[in-house]
Order: sequence, then structure tokens, then C-alpha cells
Amino acid sequence: MKPRMYLIVLLLLLPLQASLFGPLSLGGITPDLGLAVLYCIGLLTGPVEAALAGIAIGLTQDLGSASLIGFSGLTRGLVGLFAGFLGRRVLDIQSPSNIVFLFVFCLAESIFSALFLELTYGSVPLVGLFFGRMVPRAITTALVGYTLLRLITGKKILAWIRRRELQKEL
Amino acid sequence: MPGFFEKNKKFIAILALFLLLFWLVTIQVKAGRFTLLEKPVLAVSGFFERIITGTYNGIAGLGRGYVFLVRTERENRRLTSELGALRLENQITNELLSENERLREALGFTKLNPPASVPAQVIGRDSSPSSSTVTVNKGSLAGIDRDLAVITPDGVVGRVQSVLPGTARVQLLTDPGSTIAVRVQRNREEGLLEGKLDRCALKYVSFYIDIQEGDLLVTSGLDGIYPKGLPVAKVTKVRKHEAMSFQTVYADPVVRLSRLEEVLVFKK
Repeated sequence: MKPRMYLIVLLLLLPLQASLFGPLSLGGITPDLGLAVLYCIGLLTGPVEAALAGIAIGLTQDLGSASLIGFSGLTRGLVGLFAGFLGRRVLDIQSPSNIVFLFVFCLAESIFSALFLELTYGSVPLVGLFFGRMVPRAITTALVGYTLLRLITGKKILAWIRRRELQKEL
Repeated sequence: MPGFFEKNKKFIAILALFLLLFWLVTIQVKAGRFTLLEKPVLAVSGFFERIITGTYNGIAGLGRGYVFLVRTERENRRLTSELGALRLENQITNELLSENERLREALGFTKLNPPASVPAQVIGRDSSPSSSTVTVNKGSLAGIDRDLAVITPDGVVGRVQSVLPGTARVQLLTDPGSTIAVRVQRNREEGLLEGKLDRCALKYVSFYIDIQEGDLLVTSGLDGIYPKGLPVAKVTKVRKHEAMSFQTVYADPVVRLSRLEEVLVFKK
């Protein structure tokens, strides 16, 4: 993907997540648009580019929230890296199995964050968080991510991207 | 060996970046969160959030204003009767307030000045798995400053974390970095309430202190941020550990933070 596209993604990600997905939340559970976008980038590009994109997206989210700066950069970078490796092995990019993979990535990131908070601050109600927040968030993120993936990899859009690349090469 | 580095130099660079980020995080655990680049990011995201929220509210407002007009008559009757009851309650409260003022004056206590407040609208919320913040549409131009208390009529919401002229970010009381000095309303026992993502926990509560499920925690005013006596959270779980001298107390915020729309920012 071109740097200009990444800049647009970074500029729009926080406001879209904050103001569009916020009011649509159910019981305080909002899908994580950043993670969904990152998963798509991972499948479509590769591990190195996706890891860098993950670090950039994570750092932007850290700066736009109250979390320690670099923490989401680290976790999202790892998600990008693994999604990139997965992208090399996936044959059908539109397969519904992506819902399961994205669910696992999202849940793993949430568990990692909660364990880090438990080690740092203590008394984190891990079981309550797991069923009350992590699992519903992972489900909604997986569904949003899969929808996004279907939209991005739709035949018309892919054909348009390929046509543009061919035109540039010529 | 040099061939291995040459072949995997991109992955080694990524690994170095991860280590750098990990080091950055460990520093902040000890020294506190860095605030670098916070304001530019808030400025850019705040600008777009205002546009998106404005458009969203405009469309949603059309629906509420015209499509659901059928409910207005019933709502109007309910609110009129509620207003009558509240007027009566307000008269009684005013009487008690003036009596309290007279008694304070007689005892030589300082006069209570209720703080002024600025109403603000929530225009965004973060989705990070490790923090809880919201963005409001008022900033330093409206007199909002860092570390001001943010409330709703139900109770405490959090405190202002960073401010720009037209926007401010509010750290919710469930954020892991949030700490509020509280008191158990029933027996006046004190403690520090910390955010634990979807709920809060009381810190440094002695094993022998009497805290029960259902107890209301109110601000003690000792942290210098929140005025005294505001409802904060209700105790939901008390875990006593025989081997430890402390007990773990979990509490749920009295304000439904997932449904926040309008808040009040207390000026000092």
C-alpha cells in the first residue's frame, strides 16, 4: 500500500472509531476498527509491512487514549506481524475462516493487555473482563473485520487496484 | 552468520523496534505516562470527531424529532408530573441548605461555595483494550483545564486529562491510571478507588474495616480534584484474604459510562 493511503488510514482511524463506532456500541462493547483494518493490511501485504503498520496504528491509538505510549504499538505490531505471516498461507482471502483468525488475534491482544495491567497495577478482575468485555469485543471486531475484508477484496475493487497498477507500470 | 543477518535484516529491524517499544513502556510504568505528541493527535482527531459526531447527531436528530414525535405527548405528561415532584423536593433541599448555612455560620465554619460547571457533549471514546477515555466538545476556550472533575447528575465520570482550545480528553474512573480518594458513605471509612477497565477496585483497605456489598462510595475531597460527597461507585464484591492484611473490594461506577452523552466539568 502507498504511504499516502497509510496516512489517510492513520488520520481517519481515531475519529471514525471514536465518534462513529462509539454511539453504535452495545452495552459498552465497541468493535476495534484499528485491529480490523490491521488484519486486512496483514493479509493483503506481508509481515514486515503489516508489523510497521501495526506499530503506527498502535502508537496513534496510544496517543489518542490514556494507555502507556508504545503499549498498543507493541501489541498491534505483533498482531500485524502474525497477520502478515497468515496472509502468506491463506489461499482464499475471502474465506469466513478469517472471522475465527481475527477473533483469536483480538482475544489474544486483550488477554495480553489484561495480564500486563494485572502485573503493573494488580487486582484486575480477569474472569469478569474475559467474559464481559474481551470475548464480546473479539466477536464484534471479527465480524467488522470480515465485512471490511469482503469490501476491500470485492472483485470490482481488486480489479480497479490491479488496473491502476498496470496503468502505472505501462 | 553475516548471511543470516543480511537475509533477515527487515525482521531484525522490526524486532529492534519491538524491543524499543517495550523499553519505552517499562520506563513509563516507573516514571508515569509520557505526554509527548498528545496535543497534536487530540487536535487532529478532535477536529474529525466534531465533524462526524455533528453529522451523526444531525441525522439521528431528524429521526428523534420527527419519526418518534408520537411519543412526545406521553413523555410531556410524565415530565410535567416529575417536574412537580422535583420542585417540591427542591424547596425542601433549599430549606435544608439555608439551615445548614446558618448553622455553619453559627459554628464559625467557612462558607460553602458550590463550584461553577461547564456542560459538554461527548463526541468520541477510545477503543484501546488497556484504557478508558472519552473526548468532549469543550476545551480551554470554555474555561476547562487539566485535572478538573467531570460528572453527570448521577455521579463522578472522571477527570480532564488533556485540553485543547475546543476539545478535551477525559480519563474515565475505570481507566487503570485513574485514582480517586473516596469514603464509604455508611461508615465514613476512607480508601483509594482505582480503575480496572470495566469496574473499579478499592486499594489499601484494611482486613478489619467493615465494607459490605451495596455500600455507596462517595468522593472524600482529599485528592484535591473531586469536590467532597459526590457519588462514585457501589461496592459489588468484597473478597477477604485470611493470609493478607488487606481485602479486595470491587465496585461498579454509579454512572453508566457506556451511555455517556452529556457531562458537566467542574471549574475550580
